[in-house]
Amino acid sequence: MTDAARPASGGGTIVPPDPWDPLVRITHWLVAVAVLVNGLINKPGGTAHVWIGWGVLALLALRLAWGFVGPAEARFRAFPFAPRAAFAHLRQLMRGTPREHRSHNPAGALMAYALWACLAVVTVTGLVMTDAKSPVTIAEEKAAVAAGDWSVLAKDADSHDNDDDDDEEGIGELAEEVHEICANLLLILAALHVAGVAVESRALGRNLVRPMLIGKRHS
Amino acid sequence: MSGFATGRSERRGPVALTLFLLLQATAAIFFVGDALADLIAAPTAPHGIFEGLVALALILGVVIGIWQLRQALARIAAQERALDTARGSLADVIEHQFDQWGLTPAERDVGLLALKGLDVAEIAEIRGAASGTVRAQLTRIYAKAGVSGRAQFAAWFVEDLLQPAGGT
Repeated sequence: MTDAARPASGGGTIVPPDPWDPLVRITHWLVAVAVLVNGLINKPGGTAHVWIGWGVLALLALRLAWGFVGPAEARFRAFPFAPRAAFAHLRQLMRGTPREHRSHNPAGALMAYALWACLAVVTVTGLVMTDAKSPVTIAEEKAAVAAGDWSVLAKDADSHDNDDDDDEEGIGELAEEVHEICANLLLILAALHVAGVAVESRALGRNLVRPMLIGKRHS
Repeated sequence: MSGFATGRSERRGPVALTLFLLLQATAAIFFVGDALADLIAAPTAPHGIFEGLVALALILGVVIGIWQLRQALARIAAQERALDTARGSLADVIEHQFDQWGLTPAERDVGLLALKGLDVAEIAEIRGAASGTVRAQLTRIYAKAGVSGRAQFAAWFVEDLLQPAGGT
């Protein structure tokens, strides 16, 4: 009883923060919602889709900046890109004896980098597909066309005539292709990520979602 | 021990700061995109230059916001560390004092439970002992400590914490 009553933090055990810092938590869940909504629910190419895409760009930029200047556990240095360590961790996991880490475990880290890479590709190709027009401009143009003013489309066609038409078309199609492939990859990775968290939580005997949501209850 | 009282509201601050930071970052991204488009279309137009300035201000705001959040989180981490240390050293003080009084292992457990505010029946249930036994153990503990009863026993440890900073 005396031992159990002592604060666990005194023992110097290595565990990830509980809770994670607010920036990590909030960007995590907003990106998750954005991926689900843009990937499965709303109309591709619609104004809402573009709005959300721009929002994800902001979230991603903020989280990546946090990887350099945030608290120790949120920095890239705490969870380096290490595929070998990731596979070693997965082997431990299959044996049911995963080690604790002070930030994301190596497999989780690999997943985080993969997800960020996909998010970056999807948002950038999205920008290419919309000529980097902000959702406000897109909405204005749509409204203009709906009101019978087709000059916007004519202007677009003009600019296409001036440039190398084939090149532009080629890049546009390529961007669309990559956008779709990476978006689907993103959804698959997200599902794998959820499965990974479930398996790891089971193996460690502790809920890994809670620190990402609200954290432990303090006295 | 004001750390207990401020803990909760202290933790809410960073969340609010983060939400504000996110709003600012989103605004910055939109404005930067808009300003870039305008500047590319007409590099010297006053409108574009002004938008560029606003975009710059927004980015600076984000940078400062990140810095403030970082400071706030570092401060909270330091407070929690201090609180843990305080808890740890109080536990040490109690252990040490129990040694001094020469309490038996059973008496140490009962004494600690009593300090945590459990009554005789609860202690008896936890230890799987009769409440008469626990009462007798408590009496021995009070005798060894030279205190009149439970209140004075608890006060013995709190007293040190309440002494003014200048005292011993």
